[in-house]
Amino acid sequence: MSDDRTIQRDRMRFTRNTLSANLVLLAILFDVFYFINIYKSDINHDVGNFYYQFRIGASIILNLVFMLAAFLSSEGIKNYKVQYAYLLIGLGALQIARIFILPLQALRTEVTIAGNTGTVMEMAQFVRVTIYLIISSICCFASAVIGIKRSRELNEHLASLGLTANA
Amino acid sequence: MANLSLQHIDKIYDNNVQAVFDFNLDVKDGEFIVLVGPSGCGKSTTLRMVAGLEDISNGKLLLDGKDITNAPAKDRDMAMVFQSYALYGHMTIYENMAFSLTLRKENPNVIHKKVLAAAEILGLTSQLNKKPAQLSGGQRQRVAMGRSIVRNPKLFLFDEPLSNLDAKLRGATRREILLLHKRLQATMMYVTHDQTEALTLADRIVCMSMGHVQQVGTPLELYDSPANLFVASFIGLPPMNFFDVRVNGGQLIGDQFSTTLSEAEAHLLARYNGKTITLGVRPENITAGGDITMKVSTNENLGMNTLVHGHLGNATDPANKITAKLRGWCNYKDGDIVPISFNKKHFFDKETTNAIKED
Repeated sequence: MSDDRTIQRDRMRFTRNTLSANLVLLAILFDVFYFINIYKSDINHDVGNFYYQFRIGASIILNLVFMLAAFLSSEGIKNYKVQYAYLLIGLGALQIARIFILPLQALRTEVTIAGNTGTVMEMAQFVRVTIYLIISSICCFASAVIGIKRSRELNEHLASLGLTANA
Repeated sequence: MANLSLQHIDKIYDNNVQAVFDFNLDVKDGEFIVLVGPSGCGKSTTLRMVAGLEDISNGKLLLDGKDITNAPAKDRDMAMVFQSYALYGHMTIYENMAFSLTLRKENPNVIHKKVLAAAEILGLTSQLNKKPAQLSGGQRQRVAMGRSIVRNPKLFLFDEPLSNLDAKLRGATRREILLLHKRLQATMMYVTHDQTEALTLADRIVCMSMGHVQQVGTPLELYDSPANLFVASFIGLPPMNFFDVRVNGGQLIGDQFSTTLSEAEAHLLARYNGKTITLGVRPENITAGGDITMKVSTNENLGMNTLVHGHLGNATDPANKITAKLRGWCNYKDGDIVPISFNKKHFFDKETTNAIKED
């Protein structure tokens, strides 16, 4: 292994995995974009009214849980804790799944407003929120992959020095 | 290489208060210079002018021959260690030490090597993942020094770095600074009001009072041949005893004693015959036994020595107060009369307060 690579690995003993942590924060940011766009309504598309049932509460709770878990993971992954990387993979999958829960249903459901029949959510809005969720998901996956890789490298390096992860 | 030259430096504040008067000093490469003096004497102001944290009112500051009088602090290639450590509490020790290099956008691998090397020198390797709040005062000061070392500056500046530490830690950290200087062979300027620090650390000491340089010299020169009454009273612990005496041929006549001068002393004081001068005697230059007497008031046993405080003869006035550092464990009581003699004497002109020296 080259000298530079060894130093790079050794640096991890004293520096944090800020790349992974920042990717998770980016995932939270795009989740926020998704959430502030999902209920946008206009005269022909009444998304707000469509959700105005128990699902709006569940949606808010789910969003809060995601943000909390993601923030917790960003702190964990920053310190090379690999279990948080697995949690992030789950959160990434959840963001993908969310596309099929509310946005897709709203796109497929037709309503009649003032005699005009159309989908609850217009295509442009669907594409926008889907992109936000996909980016958020990619950030989670990328953060997890980088986290796992770096965590393994650090553990191998510590083992070669005869140290443990807590040393 | 770092040769620093301060030429006719003055510091005059906006309210016309002058803090430093005509400061001249040439600091050689690798030299450890200590600025010492009481609070408000201008030593920290001088250091801050060197660092670029204070404007220089008059004079020139040259670093390796280059005029840096008006150069901003960041361009002077100097590192300063403050009394208050000035560490970032939210960063680890590693991050604190690496911070200045990170700001300069140096290669992270190079930064890593420098930080580890500095931590090794200072014995901080096991502390690198900790936050400053988890370290003792001495360790924090070492981190502050480490932050300077990684920059590899031309000049290290220390502004009373040990003042926040307790006495024991101060001694240990002082020795570490001394070892650091030996190891790095760097040019260092150090400000302190503690004469023990000055005497133990310095290659040369600059003793200051009221903004004026009183004497520049090696620790031994300042201790053994003080230039004036101020230096004589400031350097040495306990401080030197002073008495007004009249020169009378081969004798010195004091209020409560008289002593015979050696041939060399009599020659030195020949031009003061019949005049009153100030006699200075260090407590450690007084020995028990002799034709001078002191009346004991208090006795401090230090183990190997005893500090005996009292007055000469039968006097009780402050002008005849005397402190003697006598060898061994003495058990003098209040009112005991102890015969003493002065082994080494210092003579000062009464009017100019300067030391009397051969012409």
